[in-house]
Amino acid sequence: MPPSPRHIPTGSALAAAGGLALAASQWLVFRHAPVEATMGLTQKIFYIHLPLAWWALASFLVVFAGSILFLLRRNPATDAWCRAACEIGVLLSGLALLTGMLWGRQAWGVWWTWDPRLTTTLVMWFVYAGYLVLRGLDMPAPRKRVACAVLGIAAFCDVPLVFLSARLWRSIHPAVFASKGGGLEPEMKLAVIACTLSMGLLWAGLLALRTGQIAQEERIETLEGLAGQDD
Amino acid sequence: MLHLRDVAKRYGAVPVIRNVTCTIHPGTVHLLLGDNGAGKTTLLRLMARLASPTAGTVEYDPPSRQCAFLGHAGFLYPGLTALENLRFWRDAQRLPKSDAHLLELLDRVGLAAHAHRRAAVFSRGMAQRLSLARVLLQQADILLLDEPGTGLDAASRTLLHDEVKQARDRGAAVVLITHDVAQDVRLADRVLLLRNRTLAYDGDVGGFQEAAA
Amino acid sequence: MIRLAKAMARKDLTLVLARGNGLAQALLLGLLLIFVFSLSREAGQPVTPQEAATVFWLSSAFCQVLVFNRLFALEETGEARLGLLLLPAPIQAVWLGKAIAGFCLLLLAQVCFLPAAVALLGQDLSGPLTEGALALLLVDLGLCAVGALLGALATGQGARESLLSVLFFPLQVPLLLAGIKLGAQTFGLSLPDGPGSWLRMALAFDGVFLGAGLLLFGFLYSGDA
Repeated sequence: MPPSPRHIPTGSALAAAGGLALAASQWLVFRHAPVEATMGLTQKIFYIHLPLAWWALASFLVVFAGSILFLLRRNPATDAWCRAACEIGVLLSGLALLTGMLWGRQAWGVWWTWDPRLTTTLVMWFVYAGYLVLRGLDMPAPRKRVACAVLGIAAFCDVPLVFLSARLWRSIHPAVFASKGGGLEPEMKLAVIACTLSMGLLWAGLLALRTGQIAQEERIETLEGLAGQDD
Repeated sequence: MLHLRDVAKRYGAVPVIRNVTCTIHPGTVHLLLGDNGAGKTTLLRLMARLASPTAGTVEYDPPSRQCAFLGHAGFLYPGLTALENLRFWRDAQRLPKSDAHLLELLDRVGLAAHAHRRAAVFSRGMAQRLSLARVLLQQADILLLDEPGTGLDAASRTLLHDEVKQARDRGAAVVLITHDVAQDVRLADRVLLLRNRTLAYDGDVGGFQEAAA
Repeated sequence: MIRLAKAMARKDLTLVLARGNGLAQALLLGLLLIFVFSLSREAGQPVTPQEAATVFWLSSAFCQVLVFNRLFALEETGEARLGLLLLPAPIQAVWLGKAIAGFCLLLLAQVCFLPAAVALLGQDLSGPLTEGALALLLVDLGLCAVGALLGALATGQGARESLLSVLFFPLQVPLLLAGIKLGAQTFGLSLPDGPGSWLRMALAFDGVFLGAGLLLFGFLYSGDA
């Protein structure tokens, strides 16, 4: 079953709704939730950083599950979902890294520090960026799909190992900061939840939209292939 | 012995072959014919199960049957000598054959004097003969040969014909793609003709020659 | 399966070591890395054990990329890959054979890298050697499990080495961290928690990627190309 472009309108609608919801959540972030005592306004980064990181991880989970499913069923539509999820995952984790660095600069005075979560995010960003490089190569489609699926599975198996090793590495150095998060006030919690859910809506919309686009791209390539054959 | 049922193969959206149903019989030489781009090589690869069909099934009966394949590339390692190449394929297939047997095989294909030379320096014909030795080594039940005569001189061609006959006589099924129909048709028992991406003729040689005439 | 893996490994080692320029390229690159890094220290200033171990594993990682790229390229010239697929043995034997051959070649290269690191970076092997050797073997095993699985990925591609480095290095971060810490210990750094947790990390990595190799290699190494 080839991937279908019918996800484009659904995706657009979902993404638009997610964008509006995310904008509305800003009211909760800046008006409803109190300004944090020690960090001040900078702490507001957290409300965008956490959803970004979460949904990036969710994207990679989709790549993992989709890759297994693809190897079992060989349905190109599943592969299109994996590709879309990985692109969005790399985008979101890249933004999560940037917001994390801004946070680190304000909270700890450095752009980068060896925090297990930050390090894991960076390493995963590298791994999945590599996956996208593989995606961009010029090789026969069936082969590329299998290669990407195998990499998608191996990459996700690597996540816990990367996290554990990053934590192990740090435990030898003195801890330079206290762990973040901790005791959130109810108003803050509400704002975080609202942001995460809106981001989720946006994420689902982008995923569907991108999958639809990929489907359209493949359809055009197919048509070109068939047209070329008749010449 | 080897059954193909409703086999189709597409690369992307481009169909290569469709609706191919046929049986490859033991002790029989099948000539696989068709124009350039008719899908002969694809069909042969499907028979070898080197490619999976988009639709339909390829079945070996019994499933443990072994097939030997000789394609455009001969599965040779240019860095290894002729003898080392045969040794590797022997070990890889766990064939209980001695080095003496391998040398004898090389002698049969006229490469005895080159047993210790690297395959990289071989001419096209010599490499093809070495590949032939690799196929003979295997004593497989099914021989799939894709234009095995390419690059062979007249003497080597005679050798090829003899070996194909021998394989048939010991009960092997042979499928042979050839561009030299006039020569090889004498060797064949049955003909498979691919036209318009499907099997246009599947029957004995006599019927084929009548239809052609 | 073991027979085929053995035949594969023997054939690959013959082709790499006895024919062509063998390991020369991988060796030179690794040694160059160590040499260039040695320039980072001022005369009379020591390189820390951890820095030395990092450079050692960096050289090994590049060596791994070159070795596995070469090992999988061997099957391309004569389409021997198809021949291997026709063999009655499970295709995982090919993976195992490549891993074994890669392991031997990597160890061989490290026999050169280690003295180079000791000499050029001013280290001495003052840490516990048994644990150091165990660490070396465990980390090499992981590198080969990854290399033998994903080396097949780039079949028929140009610029494979750079592609493989981009894919291998981040995946291997946990393993390289373990290698660096354990190597630093061998060069005399004392680990407060001992080597146990890092050895377990390397072991866990090996387990995950050996399993992944066994399960996934068959998908990658197929006839449809």
